[in-house]
Amino acid sequence: MARNDLQGSLDLLALKTLSQMGELHGYGIVLHIQRASDELLSVEEGSLYPALHRMEQSGWIRSEWKLTDTNRKAKYYRLTPAGQKELRKAQESFEQLVKGVRAVLRYAQG
Amino acid sequence: MSILRRIANLFHRSKLHQEIEAELRSHIEMRTSDNIAAGMSPQEARRDALLRFGSRAAMKERVIAADAQMFLDSLWQDLCYGLRQLRRNPGFTAVAVLTLALGIGANTAIFSLLDGLVLRDLPVPHSEQLIHVAAEMPDDSDSGLSLPMFEEIARDQKVFSSMFAWQSEGVFNVEINGSLSRGDVWPIDGNFYSDLGAVPEMGRLIGPEDVDLNSDRPTPVAVLGYDFWRLHFGNDRSVVGKTIKIEEVPFTIIGVTRPGFTGMTADIPFEIAVPLTTEPLIEGHPDVQKHLQRRDGLWYDAVGRLKPGITLEQARAQLDTLWPAIRAATIPSSPEQHARFVALQIKLTPDSTGSSYIRGRFSTPLYVLFGISGLVLLIACVNLASLMLARATARSHEMGVRIALGASRWRLARQLLTESVLLSVVGAGAGLALAFWGSEFLSKFIFAETYIVPAALNLTPDLRILGFATAVAILTGILFGFAPALRASAEDPNSALQQSSRSVGRGTGRLGRTLILAQIALSLILLASAGLFARTLEKLHDVNPGFQVQGLIDADLYPNPGGYKNLNWASYDRELTDRIANLPGVESVGISHVSPGGGNTWSEQVTPKSSPQSSIKANCALAMPGFFQTMRIGLLRGRTFTWQDDEHAPHVALVSEHLAQLLFPRREAVGQLIDITTEPKWKDLQIVGVVGNASVYDIRLHAPLTVYLPSIQYGDYSGWSQLIVRTRIAPARMEPSIRQGVKALGHEYVPIIRTVGASINRSLLEERITAMLSTFFGALALLLAAIGLYGLMSYNVTRRTRELGIRLALGAQRGSVLRMILRETLALVLVGIVVGVPCALAATRLIAHMLFGVTPYDPVTLSAVAGALLAVGALAGYLPARRATKVDPMVALRHE
Repeated sequence: MARNDLQGSLDLLALKTLSQMGELHGYGIVLHIQRASDELLSVEEGSLYPALHRMEQSGWIRSEWKLTDTNRKAKYYRLTPAGQKELRKAQESFEQLVKGVRAVLRYAQG
Repeated sequence: MSILRRIANLFHRSKLHQEIEAELRSHIEMRTSDNIAAGMSPQEARRDALLRFGSRAAMKERVIAADAQMFLDSLWQDLCYGLRQLRRNPGFTAVAVLTLALGIGANTAIFSLLDGLVLRDLPVPHSEQLIHVAAEMPDDSDSGLSLPMFEEIARDQKVFSSMFAWQSEGVFNVEINGSLSRGDVWPIDGNFYSDLGAVPEMGRLIGPEDVDLNSDRPTPVAVLGYDFWRLHFGNDRSVVGKTIKIEEVPFTIIGVTRPGFTGMTADIPFEIAVPLTTEPLIEGHPDVQKHLQRRDGLWYDAVGRLKPGITLEQARAQLDTLWPAIRAATIPSSPEQHARFVALQIKLTPDSTGSSYIRGRFSTPLYVLFGISGLVLLIACVNLASLMLARATARSHEMGVRIALGASRWRLARQLLTESVLLSVVGAGAGLALAFWGSEFLSKFIFAETYIVPAALNLTPDLRILGFATAVAILTGILFGFAPALRASAEDPNSALQQSSRSVGRGTGRLGRTLILAQIALSLILLASAGLFARTLEKLHDVNPGFQVQGLIDADLYPNPGGYKNLNWASYDRELTDRIANLPGVESVGISHVSPGGGNTWSEQVTPKSSPQSSIKANCALAMPGFFQTMRIGLLRGRTFTWQDDEHAPHVALVSEHLAQLLFPRREAVGQLIDITTEPKWKDLQIVGVVGNASVYDIRLHAPLTVYLPSIQYGDYSGWSQLIVRTRIAPARMEPSIRQGVKALGHEYVPIIRTVGASINRSLLEERITAMLSTFFGALALLLAAIGLYGLMSYNVTRRTRELGIRLALGAQRGSVLRMILRETLALVLVGIVVGVPCALAATRLIAHMLFGVTPYDPVTLSAVAGALLAVGALAGYLPARRATKVDPMVALRHE
């Protein structure tokens, strides 16, 4: 998948990751998305942190400095209730988007 | 958390930077160790990790930008939306902007006058270092320095980096290119210009080399002020080196100052400056040193610049220790002066704002007017708040939709606040223009009525004024936007979406009514003050000053160049009096040194010789025979002055009745001896008559204590007097013959001639301006209250269309509906008045000292004002009431 297309869905993927993994730092989110998409998606790390910062400002995620299991300090993110709501909305609208695109493509073929 | 965090983030960029830096670093380290675990070499691992990020600095900036952008994005959205809303309702926008422009403009205009007159520092570098140094009499009767005192102080002091001195200006005859004119001449010392940081526009400025205090041959050089140069020399840049004559003494022009230089005054123009050593020549005293070294006159002003690091207290302390020795070294030798001067104390006062004659007269009225204009602005805000409230209710459907779609209440409130701040900024822009124009006009008016020479105030809007206007605008916007914003965010989307007119504006009634009540109460306070000021002016115009004003003319007498040299005053004044008295149309003539109703007073201490301990402060006036008859001041006992009371005759005096009563309560004043203790040569004066009480100086004083002396007994007080003429015909027609009559004798001329009535009017300038402006503001407030009331009642009628329809359908007469609405309106106004009256009474107490002839609780004024408010209320309520009667019951009942 081209890197640019990912930008719009980056929020969605990050929020979903956090909802499933509970608490994760930025690097962890990158790794998870890579793994969960079977290497199909790779996050441009330059876009991740601005997005995370923006989502934090909007109140969808919350951050906390903690120690990793290798005793290194890292900033962990966690979903907030507002973020849960946002995730649901984003997921719905993404499903609709996919349905719509598929419908148009099928129409052209048929 | 968002808004505060966002704003905090904008300010704590470094902290944010650090945090982002730490996060990125930890990310990179984690990837590096993963890379190493996957088999890369440490350097490769790190390079790979870094590469994925691109430029760290750019990344950091993007994180921060994402932050700010969100905030600015939504702000921009709000602004655009707000602008669109305003454009869609041009009527509302126009009314709102006009209201704001008037309110903010009025406030800013008064503030800029206050700023220019009272608050603004002199346009001089480090004006806060300037300290005025003077010796003062304990009873405040005299203050200044003699030149010997100044020299001693300047030599011995250690707290000032430099000191300079000058003598206050005098208006003298100036001959330029052959034509005679008058100019303000300032005698200054050598440090004056340099200490004030003045820079020449042309040529050079007076310096220490031009002012040798010990020389007997002063250097007659002059520096012109920029405006004076433009006025008299056009744009002639070769003016340096030309000669002008001041009182027939030739002076060489050596330079011109830059525009805007006013010396140590805030408003008096600095027209011509000369070395103070030349002042005796101008005054006609050839022995320069004798005149300069006089010890018995405190004629010079002095200012010192504090050394950096020295405080005012330290300066005071040092000069206090030096003063006794300096006073002893410079005290006059004559015993009376010695006795006076021994009591002198040295006084240091900060002088960063310079001196201004107008300031003393106008600062209190200006502060009061500032308060009043603040009230007007408040009323305007309240008006707008209720207007915005009504609009917000009309937009409640729109608000409800937005809330249902997920907009936060805070966002909506912010939207409305943005709109109102936008309105106020536009209003403030218009208001600034109004303010500038208004304050220019007002200051020119004040100055034209006060000063002889053209003077002006520096009113260019400086940062303080602009900052003030901006702050007022934003505060105003928040103030009147607050109520609607609160309401909008409390909106229940369900009821807003339903079109039911029943639930619309459930709470508006109460809030709207409260706002109107506040408006009416505030208007009452304003109108009451305006009414009191207007009545004060009326009373002042009607007061009986103790002399007859009608038909009295006052002409200034100025010397021709050299006209006072070797003049026999007694015979000259007698000849002048007779000549003018014989002109057709003249009833009587009297020359005096008092300009009736002029406003300034001159007071001295009067002591009866029989009881030296009972000394009384009284006004003092010099007059010549004919004065009392001309003024129609009654002679109660004894006689008035005659031409025989000249310098060879025994020294006499006249006292006013009130003074006679106080000085000699159980005795006849005529025949008693008095001393004027503040002027040693006025001793053993015999009272030859008692005259009626007359406010010859300031008509605000009732029955002032006055002592009169015959001018012709005192040669060095002669000249520069006033010709008082009582005429049978119109004053304007007398003017040419009076001027001609004076000119014909060849010693004096008349530059200005006016009726005493006009003089008195001029002296009442403060009261006139205060009454004028407060009435203007009062009318403004009344208009705003009327608009607000109209808006509220109109809205109420619309809201109650259904109810009114039912009433009419059930048989109510249209007339009774009209009366009902009117009754409600007037009830509202009445409640507002009841609330406002105690507030007004409290407020008018503050202006009590500015009133004349009326008490702050004057019932006539209060009832007139209340009546006016009720009348306006009835008018404002009439139109909506009429609309209520036009409701068609059928339509109303169907309107759901």
